[in-house]
Amino acid sequence: MTSKQWKTKSQLKKERQVKLSVAILLILISICFLISLNTGHIRLTPQETFMTLIGQGTEQQSLILFDFRLPRMVVAILVGVGLAVSGAVLQGVVRNPLAEPGIIGINAGAGLAVMLFISFFSSASAAPVFVMPIIAFIGAGGAAVLIYVLAYKRHEGISPIRLVLTGVAIAAGINALMIVLTLNLDPENYQFLATWLAGSIWGSNWKFVLALLPWLIILIPFVYVKASVLNVLNLGDETAIGLGAHMEKERRILLASAVGLAAACVSISGGIGFVGLIAPHLTRRLVGDKHEYIIPISAMVGALLLLAADTLGRWMMQPSEIPAGIIVAVIGSPYFLYLLAKTKD
Amino acid sequence: MEWSNQQMDEKEQLRKVKETARPTVGIWILSAGTLMLIFSLVLSISLGAADIDFKTVWGTVFNFNPELVEHQIIWELRMPRVIGAAIVGSCFAVSGALMQGMTRNPLADSGLLGLNAGAAFMLALCFAFFPGLSYTYVILFSFLGAALGAGIVYGVGSLSENGLTPIRLVLAGAAVSALLGALSEGIALYYEIGQDLAFWYAGGVSGTTWSHLKVVTPWLCIAILGAIALSRSITILSLGEEVAIGLGEKMGRVKILSAIIILILAGAAVSVVGAVSFVGLIVPHLARRLVGHDYRWIIPTSALLGALLVVFADLSARIINPPYETPIGALIALIGVPFFLYLARKGGGQV
Amino acid sequence: MDALDVNKISVGYSNNLIIKDLSVAIPKHKITTIVGPNGCGKSTLIKTIVRVLQVQSGAVFLEGKAIHTLDTKEVAKRMAVLPQTAQAPSGLTVFELVSYGRFPHRKRMGRLTQKDYEYIYWALDVTGLNDLKDQPANALSGGQRQRVWIAMALSQGTDILVLDEPTTYLDLAHQLDILLLLQRLNKEEGRTIIMVLHDLNHASRFSDYMIAMRDGAVITEGTPNEVMTCDYLRKVFQINADLISCPHSTNPVCLSYQLCKNNSECKVI
Repeated sequence: MTSKQWKTKSQLKKERQVKLSVAILLILISICFLISLNTGHIRLTPQETFMTLIGQGTEQQSLILFDFRLPRMVVAILVGVGLAVSGAVLQGVVRNPLAEPGIIGINAGAGLAVMLFISFFSSASAAPVFVMPIIAFIGAGGAAVLIYVLAYKRHEGISPIRLVLTGVAIAAGINALMIVLTLNLDPENYQFLATWLAGSIWGSNWKFVLALLPWLIILIPFVYVKASVLNVLNLGDETAIGLGAHMEKERRILLASAVGLAAACVSISGGIGFVGLIAPHLTRRLVGDKHEYIIPISAMVGALLLLAADTLGRWMMQPSEIPAGIIVAVIGSPYFLYLLAKTKD
Repeated sequence: MEWSNQQMDEKEQLRKVKETARPTVGIWILSAGTLMLIFSLVLSISLGAADIDFKTVWGTVFNFNPELVEHQIIWELRMPRVIGAAIVGSCFAVSGALMQGMTRNPLADSGLLGLNAGAAFMLALCFAFFPGLSYTYVILFSFLGAALGAGIVYGVGSLSENGLTPIRLVLAGAAVSALLGALSEGIALYYEIGQDLAFWYAGGVSGTTWSHLKVVTPWLCIAILGAIALSRSITILSLGEEVAIGLGEKMGRVKILSAIIILILAGAAVSVVGAVSFVGLIVPHLARRLVGHDYRWIIPTSALLGALLVVFADLSARIINPPYETPIGALIALIGVPFFLYLARKGGGQV
Repeated sequence: MDALDVNKISVGYSNNLIIKDLSVAIPKHKITTIVGPNGCGKSTLIKTIVRVLQVQSGAVFLEGKAIHTLDTKEVAKRMAVLPQTAQAPSGLTVFELVSYGRFPHRKRMGRLTQKDYEYIYWALDVTGLNDLKDQPANALSGGQRQRVWIAMALSQGTDILVLDEPTTYLDLAHQLDILLLLQRLNKEEGRTIIMVLHDLNHASRFSDYMIAMRDGAVITEGTPNEVMTCDYLRKVFQINADLISCPHSTNPVCLSYQLCKNNSECKVI
């Protein structure tokens, strides 16, 4: 008997559902991609775009496409993927539906680091393009480590509830510090910081893609392999131990992966935590509670959300831009609320 | 047989909660707290940019003489802001306690009902489109914003077949907060009013006048009394929905009443001082630590501790770096964070 | 050899030990039931055996090897657990939940193998859940849900099954249903079963071996006939029981009981 025959009706149905979701998401992402390519300050006709893509465009056209639009879109997709997967892992480990990268201090830490940098060292615009992400990454990672250390107890290790409480406290403390610092910033720097905090894909440069890619390439397959562990962790501590999961070790590894992913993303995109909250939730409503499905599909949902948001943000109020983080929240939360009202628990 | 067994179990659970309550400690804390509060009020009134001795404070209260500048300062500036601070602190703390009991989530505070985000959104609209609006109207609008936020959260939460479960409330709250937060961020960026908003948001009770207090206080007193009246039901609710239903509690009614009380308390407080939300998160935890898990004790204790915390925070905000004021929200968070960390480590988190 | 050997364990916090210097042996291929009043430490003992709680001193030996030195996955291949408060996340079907029982046998990633499927279907079959396998797990009734958890523990394919109060919250028929299932697993497949039960008559009727606990210590252990005596019941539960012989087994049945006043007599009919 082949394994196909072993499968139950619901399994087969779910597999069909998953395949359908993947197909629809891929189509939507492609459509979004095409629209995004044609969106921007300088309009290119679809024909021009196509010609440029196959190397037949003018110099200016290929400059716009290859050096500005494409890298930015790719960054948007990667950030969406990274944050969504990070959120899915965190929700699984912490077993709290409100978990998102912000809860382990990623956004707050990165924000504070960037703020300290621009208020003490130099003005925002003068800094070299790579300094900001590195600073942000250090801040994000530092906050996460701080939270982990404070939530860690000898003999007991890390309990999800303690982690969440500590995370909230540290984030609140950092935010308070930031408010104090905000009031002393000069308006130009403040405007830069506010845009950064709102989350915008401002790093439109192939080098950012290269900086981001290794994180995703290593960590996403890694957590995907750990999907069955996440499934088991979800059953509660006692059951998980009974099934032979190394609770403490697995938790630490998974948390570290989530931190790595989110910190890498946030350092390039600013505060777009909402993707990490909403993408896994949307996915769960689509395909249920198995992490083998949740991880890849929430990655796609995240990519779609952020690409769409960035495109809309560029298009809506030309020539000025609306940060993608704002758009994500504005389009994401009504849909989320609709799902919440429609489905049972 | 089985049913009555289950009821026994529930009664048992309730009894256990009551056992953990410590009435003697409670009474002691309430009376000591009241004394502390009176002391801190007087202290806070007399300290400031111009120090005024206790006798003058006494004289102002019982023997007001409008000719004296010091009496003027006390009466027109210090007293309303200090009393305002106390009231606001109680409001946040009580609404936080209600929220945590109702949702059984130790992270809940009034912000989760969409109140803070709603108020901030309205504020952004006011600052962007009606820059010259008077303080009173700003407060009114931000209260309306808070109500709008809470209305959406509550409405969406209860639209579903299963009604308003805690988890649904929490998720809806997070989503609405994100939505309204993003909108106000967008407005702030576009109109470049972010820093003004941040200042408001950071909190401050300096603008409070008697006329504000006159409008707000009666409502808040009624709401706090209402919260105390509801506290028995909240205790039962905090044991879980099934237990509450088993004990014959009218869930829907209790939830709506609590939501209304939270809206009045936190909505008014947010619109007067901005988001000092940490008070609502931290004070109920402290109160639970002190007096046990019975909300009949938690709520009055929270009210007192909240008032104390904000009065002291306001006092420090004035004297840390005179004549400038440090944002009170930031101060409270900075005091609160280490304490909250301590609670988390000691194994807090039971609601 | 015994299936499990609990050797002088102390469990709890250093200043507040719930169990102190407790030793007990769980025989292989038998049904062993732990009974005792609330708070006597029976759940603590179970939780220590399944390594949710750590010992302060002493050790639990699984077939001769100290359990904390073994790889937790290896333990999970030999001992399955049904915790008292098992909660299914929403959005899982019965089949999916039962399939999680294969976790300790699975290599990192990979799909379910044919062997996995065989175990899962067998577990569903034995527990009579085959028709429900496509249902969402949290839409089931209490009795059905309990069977799902048992099926998950069964699909783990272990020789030892540890169950903490498997019949609590079930009605009479469903309680019996679960216990008969466990008995069948023991008789037909020789599985070692260790459980905590509150119902003395169930314990007496279904177990080969009983352990009675009070205040964190073992008061007595042995066959139901040895443990279910007036003396021990008075010592353990402080009840005066009227005992008769069970018509279904040869073991004693507690007909009715009274709370002990002082040294009042207890009678044997």
